[in-house]
Amino acid sequence: MNKNSINYLVGKNAKLNKILSPFSQIIVFFLDDLSKTLKIINKKKHSDIEALSFFCRKNNIEKLKNNHFDSKVIRFGLGNLFHITPSNMPTNFAYSLIFGLLGGNSNIIKVPSNDFQEMKIICKSINVVLKKKKFIQLRDMIMIVKYTQNDELTKNFSQICDGRLIWGGDETVKNLKKFSTKVKNIDIPFSDRYSICLINSEKFLKLNKFNSNILISKFYNDTYEADQNACSSPHLILWSGKTILKAKKKFWSLLNNLVVKKYNPPLISSVDNYSKFVEDTLSKKNISSFSKYNKSLYVISLKKINKENFISKTKWGYFYELHTNNLTDLKYITNRSLQTITYFGFSKNFLKSFFSKNNFNGIDRVVPIGQALNINLIWDGYDIIKTLSREIDIR
Amino acid sequence: MKFLNEIMKSEAYSLNDNKISFQRYINQLTVYHYKRSNLYKKFLNSLKYKPNNDYQIHELPFLPVRSFKQFDLLSVNKRDIYKTLHSSGTTSNLLSKIYLDKANALNQINVLKKIFFKTVVENKLPMIIIDKKNNFDQNSYNATIAAIRGFSIFANDIVYLLDQNNNINYQELNKFLSKNKNRFIIFGLTSNIYLNLIEKIDKNKIDKKKFENSILIHGGGWKKILDKKLNHNDFNSLLSKNFGIQRVINYYGLVEQIGSIFFECKCGYFIPSNFSDIIIRDENLKVCETGEKGMVQLLSLLPTSYPGHSILTEDIGEIINDEKCRCYGDGKRFIIHGRLKSAEIRGCSNV
Repeated sequence: MNKNSINYLVGKNAKLNKILSPFSQIIVFFLDDLSKTLKIINKKKHSDIEALSFFCRKNNIEKLKNNHFDSKVIRFGLGNLFHITPSNMPTNFAYSLIFGLLGGNSNIIKVPSNDFQEMKIICKSINVVLKKKKFIQLRDMIMIVKYTQNDELTKNFSQICDGRLIWGGDETVKNLKKFSTKVKNIDIPFSDRYSICLINSEKFLKLNKFNSNILISKFYNDTYEADQNACSSPHLILWSGKTILKAKKKFWSLLNNLVVKKYNPPLISSVDNYSKFVEDTLSKKNISSFSKYNKSLYVISLKKINKENFISKTKWGYFYELHTNNLTDLKYITNRSLQTITYFGFSKNFLKSFFSKNNFNGIDRVVPIGQALNINLIWDGYDIIKTLSREIDIR
Repeated sequence: MKFLNEIMKSEAYSLNDNKISFQRYINQLTVYHYKRSNLYKKFLNSLKYKPNNDYQIHELPFLPVRSFKQFDLLSVNKRDIYKTLHSSGTTSNLLSKIYLDKANALNQINVLKKIFFKTVVENKLPMIIIDKKNNFDQNSYNATIAAIRGFSIFANDIVYLLDQNNNINYQELNKFLSKNKNRFIIFGLTSNIYLNLIEKIDKNKIDKKKFENSILIHGGGWKKILDKKLNHNDFNSLLSKNFGIQRVINYYGLVEQIGSIFFECKCGYFIPSNFSDIIIRDENLKVCETGEKGMVQLLSLLPTSYPGHSILTEDIGEIINDEKCRCYGDGKRFIIHGRLKSAEIRGCSNV
């Protein structure tokens, strides 16, 4: 691809500037059709496309509509959205598009320059569905483009948009903020985040072998499925309860078995983890012990939860752990960068009352272990549909 | 340091079994750094490694090269530092910092001389440097300038191919060529040789024939010219086709271990000298079998002012078993397959 050229994967002639109300029927039908088409075209059974297809089903979208949309109010999409999607999550751009469409917007999606097979399958499926006559009006609302290092194009797209979804972390957000937008444009910046996992040690020890393995495998999916490099993958484990030592031992050894069996990262991960380990041993003061279970499972135990705690985003199976018997200690490790807490051994009601009482400056999601990577219409602290649409107040 | 004075008397390559003395010296070096660098001591303690003189070479701990970017690792007083070397990274990356005192810098030069005069040519020759003239009087410089400075000691006359604006200085070059009618050395980074000597130079403005007898030495890797999709053989045959250069020698070395570098032998292999060794490690950091690709760990007896005598690089290499190669005696032979790839990670950041 030429440096300056633009490649339209979908909607070269899309006119944009069309709006709908959130969860419009035509979008629900379009996504359901897309779900079926994805299934057919996804011959190689990429698991992330299967997940996407599952997400787009009518049943799921209607469920989302019931949870996230009040049909008594009058809302419409903001207008045109410009989505800058991350370079290393092959299906993320599709979810960003779904957010935009469900909000009732026209969309320009900039996809990463990597040649992901999944991306090709998704674009092909979208094109197949858009060809159908019944979706003719959607042809103007979806444009998917690919280009590299072209500020002129980014500038032009930014100028015609009413909202931008900027994925990809701090650097991308900072870069996009350099381009001027319409005055009323709304940016949703997805900045660098990290996440933690909260485990009740007593409850964990009570699990039988079968259920322990299920939990471990959910934890594995939260983490290793995205090389621990997703913002919502846990980087630190916070243990609570009275049987922490025993619980840790059981947890890490079960996880180690699974990682050795299943995880196959590139060679650089070994150097990354070893280098990180040496960096921590040479620079951190708050470490009580290190354990290297295998090349893809390092556990750094920190001495005491207090203000000196640091959390840095790690990857490839490199974890910190802390323990506490008082959950309000969370305040020491909470800041605006803390996104998700995955948990085990606490009731939803307990957590609801706990988080409503403590005004933590951070934490946008608290979900059971296994749901870290599940994308939802409340994401990164934003109600996506509400943010991407406007309400007409009639009295 | 007694043991270093002993080893400095050694030849570059010796046919007798050098392994035992290398092992003894490198263990002494670990003890030496343990006693002098607090950070290095912390590192060994975290590995629960008790330094003594009995470890096998593959049992020695190794610092990842990234540590030299993140920390000031030194085993002498900071006021005794004579030069600081940096990696030639881009500004967005942190740079390595290698701290040299006078003794360490001198040993580097002496060992480089021993190796060079044994493997390349026996005496000084005129030299064309495929770079611009740099100031060597600074307190710190990057790997490229360090390499040029190191190799320039083998020159009895020097011309720099490029002027300060990176244009080819034909006038100076032709002056050099008419003055030095016999054999000369051409030295430069692999990428600079390609970009200037193969791509940029206007062959009508020079007398190509004069290059036929020259020895070309290059190193530093292919990273900057990856898009050219060249391999080692293409590179050599372009030099032979364009200039008739028959003797092209690649070298392999890191800024962390300047001096004890590896020159390619006539069979195309790098061979450790009496001052260096190599171990290839797999994904679990275990030692690879001969013929297995893995990460390169480099050992050198030279680093004394900083604990860089055993490091894990981010290069991929392979020990070769070729019974026909008899260059510089028995011992290990290896090839380098380039760098580890970094951008394969999943996740939601924009890499």
